[in-house]
Amino acid sequence: MTQTLALLLDAYRELNSKKLFWFTLAISCIIALAFAAIGIDQKGLSLLWWNIGDFGGFVNSDVIPKDQFYKTIFSNFGVSFWLGWLATILALVSTSGMIPDFIAGGAVELTLSKPVSRVRLFLTKWSVGLLFVGLQVAAFSLACFLVIGIRGGSWTPRVFLAIPIVLLFFSYLYSVQALLGLLTRSTIASLLLTLLFWLFLFLLNMADVIVLNGRETNVVKRESLVAKVERLETSTSKRLKETALKAAQAKARETAQAGGKTIEQAELDAITVPEPTKEEIAAASTSVREAKEAIVDGDAAKPKWDLACRAVVTSKTIFPKTSETTALLDRYLVKTLDIPTPEEKEDENVQAIRRQLSAADQRKVQKRMEELLRGRTESWIIGTSVLFECLVLGGACWIFSRRDF
Amino acid sequence: MARMSTAASQPHSDWAIDLTHITKVYAGGFRKPGVHALRGIDMRVRRGEVFGLLGPNGAGKSTLVKILMTVIRPTRAEGTMLGHPVGHKATLAKVGYLPEHHRFPEYLTGAQVVDFYAAMCGMPRTERRKRTPALLELVGMKDWAHTKVRGYSKGMRQRVGIAQALAADPQLVVLDEPTDGVDPVGRRDIREVLTRIKDEGRTVFLNSHLLSELEMLCDRVAILVQGTVASQGTIDELTLDQQRYEIEVDGGKDADDPHRAIRGALPEVANAAALQDGSVSPGHSSGNSLATRIAWSGALPTGEKFALTRHGITIGSPDATVVQPIIDRLRAKGVTIVSVRPFRPSLEDLFMQAVTDPNTGKAVAPGARKD
Repeated sequence: MTQTLALLLDAYRELNSKKLFWFTLAISCIIALAFAAIGIDQKGLSLLWWNIGDFGGFVNSDVIPKDQFYKTIFSNFGVSFWLGWLATILALVSTSGMIPDFIAGGAVELTLSKPVSRVRLFLTKWSVGLLFVGLQVAAFSLACFLVIGIRGGSWTPRVFLAIPIVLLFFSYLYSVQALLGLLTRSTIASLLLTLLFWLFLFLLNMADVIVLNGRETNVVKRESLVAKVERLETSTSKRLKETALKAAQAKARETAQAGGKTIEQAELDAITVPEPTKEEIAAASTSVREAKEAIVDGDAAKPKWDLACRAVVTSKTIFPKTSETTALLDRYLVKTLDIPTPEEKEDENVQAIRRQLSAADQRKVQKRMEELLRGRTESWIIGTSVLFECLVLGGACWIFSRRDF
Repeated sequence: MARMSTAASQPHSDWAIDLTHITKVYAGGFRKPGVHALRGIDMRVRRGEVFGLLGPNGAGKSTLVKILMTVIRPTRAEGTMLGHPVGHKATLAKVGYLPEHHRFPEYLTGAQVVDFYAAMCGMPRTERRKRTPALLELVGMKDWAHTKVRGYSKGMRQRVGIAQALAADPQLVVLDEPTDGVDPVGRRDIREVLTRIKDEGRTVFLNSHLLSELEMLCDRVAILVQGTVASQGTIDELTLDQQRYEIEVDGGKDADDPHRAIRGALPEVANAAALQDGSVSPGHSSGNSLATRIAWSGALPTGEKFALTRHGITIGSPDATVVQPIIDRLRAKGVTIVSVRPFRPSLEDLFMQAVTDPNTGKAVAPGARKD
């Protein structure tokens, strides 16, 4: 215990000596203050004493309840953007030197010569690296808890879920950074490679969204086309039948006139024509033909989309899920569907797929996507990510235990 | 072949370090042979003594120390340290260590460095609070205790390094080049500290290039050459067969030929040839003495070997009483004795002998052998 406390105290002193730690904490405080400065009421948004407006009646406390407004900002901006991106990059920069410095010649010999096992040393050092993020998130969450409570009128202890969630998210990256630091012994190399790994995870997540969107768009488009075909077939059938009936009545009228007879209206009404066949309907309507072809194309594309989805999900299962982990806070904190979410800026590929659909179908796709993404269980998101982290850390511990310094 | 001193017969409990067959082979890469850093080291260090480990660069000294401190994993290791197998982690709580190129965290003060490493050994806080100022005072760093390490000179870092090695009240102190980068005053201070450590009953294991310092401090030494122990024991034990008395004479009327006067006084050496230049082994001794290994001319009736040198006669015995009758006989024949000097090879002489290839007469190449 004495040794662990000594390592913790040393980690605190190391963090304390790093300017970047205080710099990040200062920015967190500024963001929390800015958060507190934003207000919402029936008139709309306000910044300190200045009213900004209600953006066409879309943003005011009647549309978005005060507490939901602050929680949404905390979750979508505070956690997802600040803690999940910028603060994480700063934390990675700050902690990137911890393992390389720890194993540097002249420093590691003394530590290894103490009566502490190597695995314990490495894991303790790694854990104290998490202190950086832990302290940052704790300070930020506390500030935001106060802001949501005082300004939003809702005291929500769930805000503190940000601490384990962001720590968990950061630990995925930090475990990779620790392994890379151990292998390369270089601060810069471990940092850059970790950022590359994060970029890879980001791209994988983007691929997941694109593929999922493509698949769901295909499904919704098919449903829409099937309905369209039915509608067109009905209308075309009706049109063909009417045309055939008119033609039959005209023919009957001509035949009667040729025989010098007059035909009664009742007789004309009694004329029936057969229902048009599917071939006749298809031949009569280009739209039906095109829609049917599109359905066939969609059916042909379905296995490909399914395969692509399976491939991406399998890949994601192996790797840590950073985006989904931070999105968990949104899941726990903010009531969905209550709030009209602003249009998110989407990838161009997603937009291209979406353009093929009507606005109603687009909303349908979006909803299905949300349901699918939210349907992914916590055990899959966290469990598989933690498994990856454990494997990486296990490998790092094994290397550290066997290496000669 | 390593020479073991008579101390090898000491009972097990007397040994602070008792090593056998310590071997370390660094794996080679593609098309690169492995490096045999240590080739079966057998070494023993008594409790309470100052033991010096010396050897040329690449001999394996630091590798051996690092194996003891569990920094390097041995390929093979048998033996004990403070009665426990080498590599036993808990034993390290009783061992203080100062690595050669140590680097303390720059954000710590001297006092924090001592406190941190004592805590890493599991020492309770109350004890640390008592020991830290005392240790910093011992190494002359009391006034700098609360200054950050980044502001220290090399010598100050070495002093703090020694203080941290002593922080957990160790039974064994392993110091790798403790006087490296320290000025002469600092070296003297460190020597005094080491003497005090020894007086407190602790065992000191010193790894150093500074032979003169080792000679002043060490009870026993071991010389490592290319991963093997070339020799070990007390300096007296190692030089016993090379200790001698050198008698310089004035030939009087035969001043140009002192040998004639000696032969006149000592008929048993009459037929012996005078020692020629170059008939000594490589190496040199301090002062005016001849080189350490000498080509003896013959033996006296009493059994002692002798050699006729340019200015007199050398008797191969460390015993002053053996020389007295010879002096008497020389004096009786009117030979003027200019000087009688006992000669004991220095540690440097021993070192040079150990690192010299007897076939080529040249010092072995630095570094471990790659076969």
